Amino acid sequence: MIVVQALVNGLVSGTLLAVPAIGFTAMFAVLRFPNFAVSGVATLGAFAGYLAYGAGLQMAGSLAAAFVAAGLAGLLFDKIAHLPLVKEGALPAAIASIATGLVLENVVRLGFGNEPRGYDRPIARDVFFGEIRVSPQQLETMGLALALMLAVFAALAFTRIGKAMRATADNPDLAALKGIRPERIATLASLIGMGLVGVGGMLLGLDSSIDPLTGTRILLSLFAAAVLGGLGSVPGAVLGAFLIGIAEELSVLVVGSQYRAAVGFVAILAVLTLRPRGLLGERAF
Amino acid sequence: MNKIRITRRTTMAGSVALLANPAIVRAQADPIKLATLTPLTGAGGPYGPVMAKAAASVVEEVNKAGGVLGRRIVLVSEDDQTNPEAAVRAARKLIDVDKVTAIMGTWASSVTTAVAPLCWESKTFLCTVSGADSITLLPHQGYLIRTQPNSRLQVTRVGEFILSLGAKKAFTMIPQTPFTQSTFDVLNQVLPKGGATHQSLIYDDKKTTYRTEVDQALRTSPDVILANGYTPDTVVLLKDLYRAGFKGKILGFAYSINQKLVDQIGQNEVVEGVYTFAPSSAEGGSAYEKVKVAVGSANPDPYTCQVYDHVNMVLMAIAVGKAASGEAIKDNIRKVTQGSGKSVDNAVDGLKAIAAGEKVDYSGASGPCDFDEKGDILDCKFRYEQIKGGKFTLVKIA
Amino acid sequence: MLSYLLFIATIGGIYGLLALSLNLIWGGAGMVNLGLAGFFAVGAYASALLTTAGQAPIAAGWLVAFVAAGIAGLTVTLSTTRLREDYLAIVTLGFAEVVRLVAANEIWLTRGTDGISGIPGPWKRALGPDFNGVYFLIVLGVLLVVFFVVRRIDRAPYGRALRAIREDAQVAEVAGKNVLRFKTEAFALSAAIAGLAGALYGHFTSYIAPDLFLPLITVYIFLAVASGGTGRPAGALVGAYLVMALLESSRFFVEGIPGVTAVQRAALKELLIAVALIVVLRLKPSGVLPERIPPAPRSS
Repeated sequence: MIVVQALVNGLVSGTLLAVPAIGFTAMFAVLRFPNFAVSGVATLGAFAGYLAYGAGLQMAGSLAAAFVAAGLAGLLFDKIAHLPLVKEGALPAAIASIATGLVLENVVRLGFGNEPRGYDRPIARDVFFGEIRVSPQQLETMGLALALMLAVFAALAFTRIGKAMRATADNPDLAALKGIRPERIATLASLIGMGLVGVGGMLLGLDSSIDPLTGTRILLSLFAAAVLGGLGSVPGAVLGAFLIGIAEELSVLVVGSQYRAAVGFVAILAVLTLRPRGLLGERAF
Repeated sequence: MNKIRITRRTTMAGSVALLANPAIVRAQADPIKLATLTPLTGAGGPYGPVMAKAAASVVEEVNKAGGVLGRRIVLVSEDDQTNPEAAVRAARKLIDVDKVTAIMGTWASSVTTAVAPLCWESKTFLCTVSGADSITLLPHQGYLIRTQPNSRLQVTRVGEFILSLGAKKAFTMIPQTPFTQSTFDVLNQVLPKGGATHQSLIYDDKKTTYRTEVDQALRTSPDVILANGYTPDTVVLLKDLYRAGFKGKILGFAYSINQKLVDQIGQNEVVEGVYTFAPSSAEGGSAYEKVKVAVGSANPDPYTCQVYDHVNMVLMAIAVGKAASGEAIKDNIRKVTQGSGKSVDNAVDGLKAIAAGEKVDYSGASGPCDFDEKGDILDCKFRYEQIKGGKFTLVKIA
Repeated sequence: MLSYLLFIATIGGIYGLLALSLNLIWGGAGMVNLGLAGFFAVGAYASALLTTAGQAPIAAGWLVAFVAAGIAGLTVTLSTTRLREDYLAIVTLGFAEVVRLVAANEIWLTRGTDGISGIPGPWKRALGPDFNGVYFLIVLGVLLVVFFVVRRIDRAPYGRALRAIREDAQVAEVAGKNVLRFKTEAFALSAAIAGLAGALYGHFTSYIAPDLFLPLITVYIFLAVASGGTGRPAGALVGAYLVMALLESSRFFVEGIPGVTAVQRAALKELLIAVALIVVLRLKPSGVLPERIPPAPRSS
């Protein structure tokens, strides 16, 4: 029974992890470098949402605030720090993005200090289905995450911009020939990708607490999810996030919670050895 | 070279001033330098800043009252980043450049263990709040005291308290820290003697949810759960215990279950009835009240109380030793903290008494502050509180 | 003051070794190692355990540290060398975290979060207060040896092959270079140097613990290599000391900023390091000492 319960718990945390994982992998697909600034951006999003929620906005409005603040910050640093370096290769940009993450973490620390804060959200007892229990709040958070994911998929599949993004990710040269302006697509990718990462930071913070290290704590799981599904693949990121979420919870039963962070690493090594392009390959969508 | 320059300047200032007025000699002498080395960033980040603030408040008061030995006190605050590598560099700077006589408030056991050799080798006094048993066993030659009861003593009392709550099945949830192993060892001894079983689980303090861990704990149907982490992870743990409908008793350390945690959870019934536990001064101790005012909190954590005591004790030891050196502090700290002197609870009063030739016995915010030859506190009361309606209410001090 | 400078110079030398290690693969072969702290830890633990629990002589500890970290490097690269360098970045980041977890949790081996104290220093008792000076010379000696070895590699045909791989692995492959072997070897050697640096660190401060090996130190080294100039060993050394100077001097000038709390000062310091890294990468990507590519010898 406890295994089923762990599976359910993993599914919930996997859903929350999927949101920032989509953001990260979508940026990788278009911008072609792993953006390590996701740690700082997730923290920033969590705090922006915290401020908005504290100011009386509803959950949807607060998530929007997290999205906008994180998206704009991500875009700003992509423009001034990362993208000019991509010309020299993915690595200088990736390294600069580590510094960006550190910058944002410390900007939050400057403003809010180190004390953890919690969203002022009512905490309800779990609901039992037989012996399996789920938290109504987590269901709500999960619903929000799922809705957001659906919106992203719909946008990619049906809107002109979404199609243009996919085209650019698949083949930038061909897309440019067809009159898609790569600059605009890059801007959108930064904005939406980092926006999702910011929302993810807030979603993961909703049930726990947030502090300047919030984003850093989820960094490895996030990467593991993206690599597992195939870097650059949006459905892959979702699949990867579910798998990582479930594996992390199951690992609590098997090796103990203290080795949770190793789960992602082992998963990455296994996938890279057996199926180097990830479960769903690197094709974007 | 630097040393010669300072000496010469001091001598010159002294000799010029001596002609005019002896009082000016003291005013112009070099300040006494002390340091705090607390975690301002990293895992200890929630604790270090308040600790530095408490220390600064003591220094400010003493300076207002005229300093020590007629000299002003300068407090240098460095960040140990909760990281021994950064701490060692910071300590080197404090010792060699600032030439501080004492370093106070090291928090993480790893930081204290890393910094301690630098201190005893340079005859700098070290006051720490780290609880790992191994620390006072280091060959520190007397240059180290710790105000935190070692973890064996604390956990033994916790075990006794768990039994007094009528526990039959206790469960400990704890992250991996230097106390984890000794906590298990002690509880596995103490609890069975009192007729209770004990089981435990180590969790990852970086997780954002502990649902599966809580399930694992509840499967053993415990009646008392010891939540033995730090504030950020304990917030998550308590929420998840509430969600899971845990009806038994919860007990935790006051450094993690504090007003900040209650504020953060923001919902009183989640923490209703939770017991907290902290080393404490005797009931009605006035130093604790002073710390409340100094840091502006109704519920200052034990580390803050302890670093407040560090500064008070060190300043009085300097006054008794009539020298601002680590050696003077080492030789005299026990003369101001224990014995039959006049009981004082702050350095300003203590310094007056010392100047008047009286003996003093400091009793601080964290406890009576009496030390054995290893630097461990001799005796300590513990303060047990229970959260009722979001407020900490005193159960007992014993 | 002198002993402080000596201390900082010694730690700077250890950072220098780490910078040389990173430079070898980043500047040399265009790979990154975000798990530098992990290899540093492997070396530190290997040597500390061998010389405390194992009672081995210190020199043996250092040798084992070098080898152990090298083997760890080999293992980590083998699964990723065929892939884009992004994957290696992520895998190495995870590796460092796993090393820290193992160090914290496998108490029977590593004494857990208590750490290992009382790591012997060479002739520490006999030297007394002169220990710091002598140890600085030892570190300097090791640093110079590694420096000349790395520079030799850099200028040898081997170094040119690595650079060719960095510029375009496919062309290098076509030109008959065994890209996989070159990359793996370079990475293993680089990891080994980081391990040696870890050993030197442990025997200097006499204490190591899992907390020592946080990712921040990796960021410092990246700043060192980027500011000194990737692709040139001398640049890495200069960069390491520049970073050390920045880290230590920032203590003195943030103290002077009025109206900020202690936390904010600490945040400003980290902010400064991070901004410096971005600025260096953006404005002076070639570093203080730009890469010099020696011409290939004419074939006779």
